[in-house]
Amino acid sequence: MARYLLIRLGLTLLTFWLIVTVVFFLMRLAPGGPFDGERRLPPEVETNLRAAYNLDQSLPRQYIDYLAMLGRGDLGPSFRQKDFSVNELVATGLPVSLTIGGLALLIATTVGIAVGLKAGLAPNTRTDTWLMGLTNIGIALPTIIVAPLLVLIFGVALGWLPTGGLGSFNHYILPPIALAMPFTAAIARLTRGSVVETLSEGHLQTARAKGLPESLIIRRHILPIALLPVVSYLGPAAAALLTGSVVIEQVFELPGIGRYLVQGALNRDYTLVMGVVVVYAALILLFNLLVDLAYVRMDPRIRLQT
Amino acid sequence: MNLLYILSRAVLILVGCWLLNNAANSAEPLRLGNPGEPETLDPHRYNLRLEETILTDLFLGLTTFDAHGQIVPGAAAAWTTSDNGLIWTFNLRRGLKWSDGKPLTAADFVYAFRRLLAPETAASLAYFMYPLRNAEAVNSGELPAEELGVRAVDEHTLVIALEAPYPHLAERLLYPTGYPVPAHVIKEVGDAWVKPQNWVSNGAYRLEDWQPQSHVTLVRNKHFFDPATIERVIYHPLANEQSSYNRYRAKEVHAISNFPSGELDRIRENLTGHLRLSPLLSIVYLVFNTTAPPFDDVRVREALALVIEPEILTEKVQRSGNVANGSFVPANVVDYDPAVMPHLHLDENARHEKAITLLREAGYGTDNPLRVTMRYVSGTEAKKTQLAIASFWKNIGVETQLHHTELKVHFADLRQGDFQVAQAGWFGENNAEHYLGLLVSDTGNINYGRYANPAYDALMSAARQQADVNSRNKLLRKAEALGIAEYPVVPLYSVTIRRLVDPAITGWYENSRDVHPVRFLGWR
Repeated sequence: MARYLLIRLGLTLLTFWLIVTVVFFLMRLAPGGPFDGERRLPPEVETNLRAAYNLDQSLPRQYIDYLAMLGRGDLGPSFRQKDFSVNELVATGLPVSLTIGGLALLIATTVGIAVGLKAGLAPNTRTDTWLMGLTNIGIALPTIIVAPLLVLIFGVALGWLPTGGLGSFNHYILPPIALAMPFTAAIARLTRGSVVETLSEGHLQTARAKGLPESLIIRRHILPIALLPVVSYLGPAAAALLTGSVVIEQVFELPGIGRYLVQGALNRDYTLVMGVVVVYAALILLFNLLVDLAYVRMDPRIRLQT
Repeated sequence: MNLLYILSRAVLILVGCWLLNNAANSAEPLRLGNPGEPETLDPHRYNLRLEETILTDLFLGLTTFDAHGQIVPGAAAAWTTSDNGLIWTFNLRRGLKWSDGKPLTAADFVYAFRRLLAPETAASLAYFMYPLRNAEAVNSGELPAEELGVRAVDEHTLVIALEAPYPHLAERLLYPTGYPVPAHVIKEVGDAWVKPQNWVSNGAYRLEDWQPQSHVTLVRNKHFFDPATIERVIYHPLANEQSSYNRYRAKEVHAISNFPSGELDRIRENLTGHLRLSPLLSIVYLVFNTTAPPFDDVRVREALALVIEPEILTEKVQRSGNVANGSFVPANVVDYDPAVMPHLHLDENARHEKAITLLREAGYGTDNPLRVTMRYVSGTEAKKTQLAIASFWKNIGVETQLHHTELKVHFADLRQGDFQVAQAGWFGENNAEHYLGLLVSDTGNINYGRYANPAYDALMSAARQQADVNSRNKLLRKAEALGIAEYPVVPLYSVTIRRLVDPAITGWYENSRDVHPVRFLGWR
């Protein structure tokens, strides 16, 4: 187990370094620079700016400097958000993204599993057909459509909930729901499928024969097995939810880090984009690692290939 | 694990929290939508109009705007100019204070100008103050900051010396690059002076809180000489037009500075008292690359300009309130009579025929059609506009390929001269020189089309020697008439800023600078 863990960690670090390197050079390849705009920039001013942000160095030098800085846990100064360091921006934005993503994950798993279970326990009934029909819609509708629709209905037309921004509890209702929708649907379908499959397993007949109450059978004998595929889906889903709120943050004008990614890219704010990518990459790699480990624990059939 | 049970619990919790939340709502701050997130609130490092908006509330320059956007005395109570126009003497108001109660003196302004132009500050708009003597040399590090043409005679008297006469200095000083910054705080905490906990400024408001991408909160500065009515202002960055409009309709903000242009007709009907349209001092134009074929030929440039109908673009295609403009200097620049493109007195048929003749003379016709690539900044309105222009050109047999890129790439390429014909824009000041300077041959790479005409240059530099505004403007007009007749650019329209403002707000007046300092606002 220790060796498996070490190898996995090593691979994760290697992937991380690769991501950082590729993104670093890709950003520099994009035409235009952080100081391009509509206004005139006299040469002396541009020289001053480039010197202030270390851009007068050669590219390999900048890359090594960046890696050294990253090693110290410093994401550098933002090129465009001049009054904040990237660390400060990530520190204010990440909690927002994580909260929205976490709430969405909560909704997706609780509602998804509940709906999947309800449908799976009564396969091919009218309830099943209805619920699965709904999940189809959930999967088919992209967030970019659902989110503005929710805003128009609950924010503008009914006036029940705020249309964007942060401030109160109310602001945390629509964004997670919109974000969770496709994931809820996917989890529901996944759960239903594996519940139906589990129902035909022999050990359930033994359990019933022992006279166990149905609720106990569901909790002890169906769910743990039926949830295995859901768990393996949860790794990428969690990463996608916690990091994938880029669209949601735009629509609801939320101060999360997803918005920094978009604006940073448009502004050629090299350090800001790098900073957000570093955080995203770290999160995604971490979740995948956690799921792999959880899987090993949950299913003894998985051999540790070391 | 009952689905209904879980759902009903969740709904109960949500409703409970919602009720709790709506109960607490008392003293209402003024909430304003700003079209994006400020990149800095350091007035010397700023770069964007949306930062200017907030900085105008936080600071007070030597001169300032009134509620109508007119230039009025600010920190300076009055000023005089020497006969040769080179020496400006400003007398500061008595009893000026920073928001921490410390006195503000002429020395603070000297410090500020030196800081703006110091190379270490890396101020991207430092060149706004290049009219000051030695400013350019100080900014490039050739001269020490002490050589800058600004000095404090005593606590209340500031003298500014210029390189050459510049009658628009009072206007130049309106911008944040001319604002004082608190030397006593910066010496102590360095760049962290812009953090809310360290913040000190001299405007009607001071910074209370700044959560990036969420809000910037300002609170009234009790040391300001003319205290504002509204206690607290919150600026929300609302970059997306639709979100901005939604939040206004949901009454979450009191004013917004952008909404989808397609909603204009509906708003005119349903939100009559809310709509505020102000034509901004600005010009959107087409620029030709005059160094390469086909547009090194003035006949081709003229032919293409002849068939563009700016009114059709603004009234029929865009329908978003923009105003057609036939001169390179926007028509709303005051005290100046702009020179319009010479063809505008001809009727449509005459222009059409002349265009075809010109093209034929230049060697283009049905057998050898002119093919051009037109570049523009990605966006719905820009796309509609450029398509319409391409269709005007199609009428005279010109085949246009449209090529759009995001803003950064667009202007980077234009500066490189990497285009044939492209959309560009310029906005800002209420003086003709600001616009006409773009076409001077040594202006550098923002003379995107590399237009070079010695006669034009001579008129412009003669104008720049005049201390008197009227004689200056006469020469500028001559230059404009000469330049526009060669069609290095085709002026199209002035941008109109579309705002929605809560009718309960008082003191809000439309003006061509589109400035609305909060200290003049109040509640009805």
